Amino acid sequence: MNRTFRISFALKNTYRVNSIIYSLKQIPFFGKLLPDRAYGVKGLKYFANILSIVWEILSIFLGKFLYIALMVFGLGSLYGAMPPDRVCTHIFFFLTVIGAFANTYMFNPSRDRYYALILMRMDARAYALSHYIYAMIKVLVGFLPFTLIYGKMAGAPLWFCLLSPFFVAGLKMTVVMIDLMDYERSGRAANENRLGKAGWILLFVLLAAAYGLPALEFVLPVPVMAALMIGSVCSGLASIWKIATFAFYGEMYKDILAQSMYQMEVAMDAAKTSNQKMISTDTRIQSRKKGFEYLNELFIKRHRKILWRSSLRLTAVCAVIILGMLLAFRLQPALRIRINQVIMVFLPYFVFIMYAINRGTGFTRALFMNCDHSLLTYSFFKEPKMVLKLFRIRLREIIKINLLPAAVLGGGLALLLYASGGTDRPIEYGILFVSIVCMSVFFSVHYLTIYYLLQPYNAATDMKSGTYQIVLSATYLVCFFMMRLRMPILIFGCICIAFSVLYCVVACLLVYRLAPKTFRLRN
Amino acid sequence: MRFIIRHLSKHFGKKQVLKDVDFAFESGKIYGLLGRNGAGKTTLFNCLNRDLKVDGGDFCIEEDGKERSVTATDIGYVLSTPTVPEFLTGREFLKFFLDINRDSVRADRSIDDYFEELSIEPEDRDKLLKDYSHGMKNKMQMLINIIARPNVLLLDEPLTSLDVVVAEEMKTLLRSLKKDRVTIFSTHIMDLALDLCDEIVLLNHGELEAIPKENLDNDEFKTRIIDALREEDHE
Repeated sequence: MNRTFRISFALKNTYRVNSIIYSLKQIPFFGKLLPDRAYGVKGLKYFANILSIVWEILSIFLGKFLYIALMVFGLGSLYGAMPPDRVCTHIFFFLTVIGAFANTYMFNPSRDRYYALILMRMDARAYALSHYIYAMIKVLVGFLPFTLIYGKMAGAPLWFCLLSPFFVAGLKMTVVMIDLMDYERSGRAANENRLGKAGWILLFVLLAAAYGLPALEFVLPVPVMAALMIGSVCSGLASIWKIATFAFYGEMYKDILAQSMYQMEVAMDAAKTSNQKMISTDTRIQSRKKGFEYLNELFIKRHRKILWRSSLRLTAVCAVIILGMLLAFRLQPALRIRINQVIMVFLPYFVFIMYAINRGTGFTRALFMNCDHSLLTYSFFKEPKMVLKLFRIRLREIIKINLLPAAVLGGGLALLLYASGGTDRPIEYGILFVSIVCMSVFFSVHYLTIYYLLQPYNAATDMKSGTYQIVLSATYLVCFFMMRLRMPILIFGCICIAFSVLYCVVACLLVYRLAPKTFRLRN
Repeated sequence: MRFIIRHLSKHFGKKQVLKDVDFAFESGKIYGLLGRNGAGKTTLFNCLNRDLKVDGGDFCIEEDGKERSVTATDIGYVLSTPTVPEFLTGREFLKFFLDINRDSVRADRSIDDYFEELSIEPEDRDKLLKDYSHGMKNKMQMLINIIARPNVLLLDEPLTSLDVVVAEEMKTLLRSLKKDRVTIFSTHIMDLALDLCDEIVLLNHGELEAIPKENLDNDEFKTRIIDALREEDHE
């Protein structure tokens, strides 16, 4: 058993190390420095191994720390009416019950388990038991420090803090025992990733009990909880015998893993069909245009559901919020001054909002999946003048789609500014509107440009470009930090307009120069 | 007309996939491109279709003794897995393509004429391409590639997953199309290559090499091809 554990652990580690090296290779520039045989380079292997070990240790503590700190202590201390120790222990108790059947460790169809048991044909029983023991040790070691620290902070009794990790492990083992016995009886394997209807209902009921009951000022009485916890530990001890002597680990895992591998395939197919489903089958959709305008019009009309519907919905939401604010001004005149102050300096915040409501990534994704993916294999489609012609048409469309909510939002903001007391400089109304519209145009141009310059997908519709991912993340980060910026409308608005115009000019120049070369299927 | 490849090379990392591809293809012939798995047949096609940047060498078209560089419209490329824009109907795709290539396509034929030629049934012509079967998508892809009358037609295992009837239709079609153009047909199926192709070319160790049939019968020729692939492997 020891040997099986060592081998399978090494296998899992290799898998993880290779994943780390793979991700390193995806980093632009840096990745190119790594040789092709990176997976065989000793130094790199050591480095990745260290990361892998650090991750293994973190995985013992980090998850449990976050769980206790946020889910139990963090949320538990929000209930003002009840003593925190009672609320926290109550929440912990119910969440543990959920974890016992939703996170068993035993019935988790993970990829490394698939490699070890199906591909490498390792001894299932030795594998299951050694990994289960390891998992339970991780539970005890990982939980104890945090139940003690946070237990003390909440004022929970020491016996509770000490007993908690054993309660978690005991209850998990008890559930495993029940599932194993159920398998012996019915041949049905429990798969924790497929809880079933009853499982989900139970989960929500328990979740409601965990967080809902304290709100109604009811928590589980201490003696009841203590009895249940001790009972769980005892039944956990008793289940060791069942877990150790269970004879059908091999059959059971084959069943669970086959289900989940099947699920993966289904998920991949589903991604494909979901792209196809976006295509409207309405036979009345036609176009009288010619050439690329014809292609574009049919594309937009047949994808109306994903392209225009969300844009219209966002427009409606913006309009409702603005009308709501206007109504609030009328009902609560005191609100006006505050809102006025906010609008005067909050323009940078809207960079993030405009980022969040831009449909650019969805647009380019649909373009690739349902159009360019296939057409890029035809040589006529890649001729420079065709690429640029279509780029112009698409730029117009993506800007149009995003412009509607932007115009409503920009106009609405100017209106709010006016209704909340106005500004001394009338030009600010205009700047507010124009800068919001510019932001929208900027994001539209940005997404289409990086799509044309970095075309990140290959023929199998996998995302292949690390650079593309990094540009997307950088976009997010910049927009995120804009939320923290406070600047008067006049200054930020002008900067914003100037930047957007400049960016659009540069981006279009770049596309004109480079896209005929870069707009290709990746290999 | 001849399609000439000169000293074409391409590597991925340290692996030299195409070492020195040097060959002249004559128009009017179908060339069967054979090679072992991983020999670089698809890489070669991707280079010729300019989906991949080559490291060295070039390729050109020779007409009336004069050489000129290859334009995108010279090349037609049919992939083994057919890719067609699924949001269009067969008719719309064809119309779009004809619009785009107004100047280079014969104007005397209607869209339905083209459908007739590939025996695509009238009731299928106005269906969305996403609802086409594999074989029908393949036909559509072939159709688009032949309407433009490319000088060089690259076919990457195009018949492998078609049913016997469609495969036979395609073979007849390819034979009828071979006049005035170079057709290069990559396949793993020896019998198909011998049946359809006028010349057999091996891609081995990054180089192209013609295997002359001379006066061998089919079995002897097969043995010679296999030997050639094997021998080079042990060099």
